[in-house]
Amino acid sequence: MAGIIVPLVSGLVFGWSLHKAGLTKYHKIVNVFRLTDLAVLKYMLASMAAAMVAVYALLDLGVLTMPNINATYIAGNVIGGLIFGVGMAGAGF
Amino acid sequence: MKWIMAQARKKEWSPYTAGLWLAVAFLIAVLGSDQTLGASGALENLSGMITGVISPALVDNMYFKFIMPPGITWQVWLLVGVFLGAFLSAKLSGDFKIRWTPEVQWNQVFGPQRWKRWVIAFIGGVIVEYGAGIAGGCTSGLAISGGIELAPAAFLFIFGMFASGMLTARVIYRRKF
Repeated sequence: MAGIIVPLVSGLVFGWSLHKAGLTKYHKIVNVFRLTDLAVLKYMLASMAAAMVAVYALLDLGVLTMPNINATYIAGNVIGGLIFGVGMAGAGF
Repeated sequence: MKWIMAQARKKEWSPYTAGLWLAVAFLIAVLGSDQTLGASGALENLSGMITGVISPALVDNMYFKFIMPPGITWQVWLLVGVFLGAFLSAKLSGDFKIRWTPEVQWNQVFGPQRWKRWVIAFIGGVIVEYGAGIAGGCTSGLAISGGIELAPAAFLFIFGMFASGMLTARVIYRRKF
């Protein structure tokens, strides 16, 4: 049961924040690639900066163990990103 | 309390404030169940499950056995939560409405025809999921979660995503809008 509640609560906050940032809308996603509305970047970087500090602080305090870190395959990550960007800018999600 | 309700009813927050709440969601996930956020994985788990029913031979490979096992996983429950959270926010702020095409910008650029949105959304969805499969995550699962852990993969992915995204937007829009 706890295995379901944690992702549900985390997802609830995640979805709420996505909608409040306006990122559920087509024009917000496309305009970041046209550099006319940087909401996506502001949202991404604000969350990353805040969570980075919190995660590494908790890690040093021994409260938390680092979860699975995404594997680095230079070609895979870059090529995957290049393909991903086409779909994201084209469809807007 | 009044202030909280007023904030909840707002249609839009500053992206910085909303971003801080994403950091909260990330911490809940990491502290609660040692998982990072991600959206594309759940769709692969679900599609693996559906494909497994229709044609088991298609999911009998390395990818679905080890990397993305089919089934109702942690990520799927996260996606259910995302859906509910966004719905709640939209409903409270009066932003909820069934739209066949995005009203802002899309209609001016592509026109209001529904089939265009469906075709582009479908093809775009396939491309996005395929790219995420190769890279090992999507915007949330790799760029944001990986970036928080300072994984090099995340920054390589962000570079690729913006390089091709800006080019695609340029090709689609040219001088329009």
